[in-house]
Amino acid sequence: MSAFSEAVRADVNRHLDEETGALGARLAAIRHNEGLQAVLVYRLGRELIARRRSVLAWPLLALGWPVYALLHALMRACYGIRLSLTADIAPGFYIGHFGGVEVYNCRFGERCSIGAQTKIGSLDEPAGPSIGSGVWIGAHAKIYGPKTIGDHATIAPGARVQKNIPENALVVGDPGRIVFRGYQTHRIVPGV
Amino acid sequence: MSVPHRVNEIAHTTPPDNDASGVHEVAAGPLWSVVAEDMRHYAELHYPAGAGALRRWLLWLHAPGLLVLFVHRVHFRLIRQSPARRNRPAMILFRLLFALVRGLRLVVSKSDVAPIAVIGRRVYLSDRGYQILGPRRIGNDTVIHERVVVGVRAGAHDRPAISANVWIGPDCVIYGDITIGRGATVLPGSVLSMDVPPGAVVGGNPATFVRDHFDNSALRRSLSTRIDRAWIAAQ
Repeated sequence: MSAFSEAVRADVNRHLDEETGALGARLAAIRHNEGLQAVLVYRLGRELIARRRSVLAWPLLALGWPVYALLHALMRACYGIRLSLTADIAPGFYIGHFGGVEVYNCRFGERCSIGAQTKIGSLDEPAGPSIGSGVWIGAHAKIYGPKTIGDHATIAPGARVQKNIPENALVVGDPGRIVFRGYQTHRIVPGV
Repeated sequence: MSVPHRVNEIAHTTPPDNDASGVHEVAAGPLWSVVAEDMRHYAELHYPAGAGALRRWLLWLHAPGLLVLFVHRVHFRLIRQSPARRNRPAMILFRLLFALVRGLRLVVSKSDVAPIAVIGRRVYLSDRGYQILGPRRIGNDTVIHERVVVGVRAGAHDRPAISANVWIGPDCVIYGDITIGRGATVLPGSVLSMDVPPGAVVGGNPATFVRDHFDNSALRRSLSTRIDRAWIAAQ
């Protein structure tokens, strides 16, 4: 199986209660979750970039890029979700809600979750945040600049991250401070 | 935080009576009388000097909050229908049309309201949108401004209950098993996960107590959002 279909499968599975093979359940998950639709459009764009060097795929790319551009514009205009192709997002990405989500110029590990109104990227700096795997980011959280966030960290809703965060830490408030080390996101969010 | 979309996720709960906090007041009665009251209320807020019928009806074009509220009122009633009624051909057609209206609501306002939420009369949801609302209840005469997210704590299922006469400023996040008391004021940009006593003002990230016995009725009528601690202290 290609990396593209693996990633799509992992993204859809984040929205299913158990990993059933039923196609109907997968299609229903895509239909009901606007965030999942935006992630799938992002996966399409990344796949088009990955195939730009293979000459055999060029006719497909000529069709693919206009379709991607249209879908990406729809996601931004209708749902307010901006997942830029400058972000490097590992499989299993979960966007809980639409509206004001901006993700660009950053790196995400596997099985991360973000909420509504999260802004993750870089304002002036060339480098963006680098986020580990299994990180849970609440609504209205803001992460700008070259920060590193460890695996399984939890960013509380409304937190503004201003320094590097170690693994398994809980960050709260604006400016964000670490209130707990050894906070286990995987115990409160099943499957992370 | 999640707002359930699928009907099978929804608990068919009935609000208990004998509750004085105003949390459980339900906009019962025929749909059209409730929606007409919403329209009158939006017209009073947008045109304090009074407005004719034409300007009242044109609110449907430039007040997306009214559309969000209308979609919720219909959805709230749809999910409580008996299966026999739900599966009638006319109702299936209506639900298909309603899915289009919900899509329009999403595109116009970027808002989502959980259909399980029990929303009282004369509630104002912001016309600037971007609201994700998943509370248990919203009481009468409550004002909720733009970019507010209300939902469950991560990994939990209990939702906030918002009482009557509450004013919630823009950019707030409210989550967990909490109750916001009658007449409370939540300042803009607050992150609130604890109970708020009636009449109190809370604000900050994380939210702290600001003052007690604040009358927010003028604030709720004005639709002004440029409110902070200094303004509250000057009152």
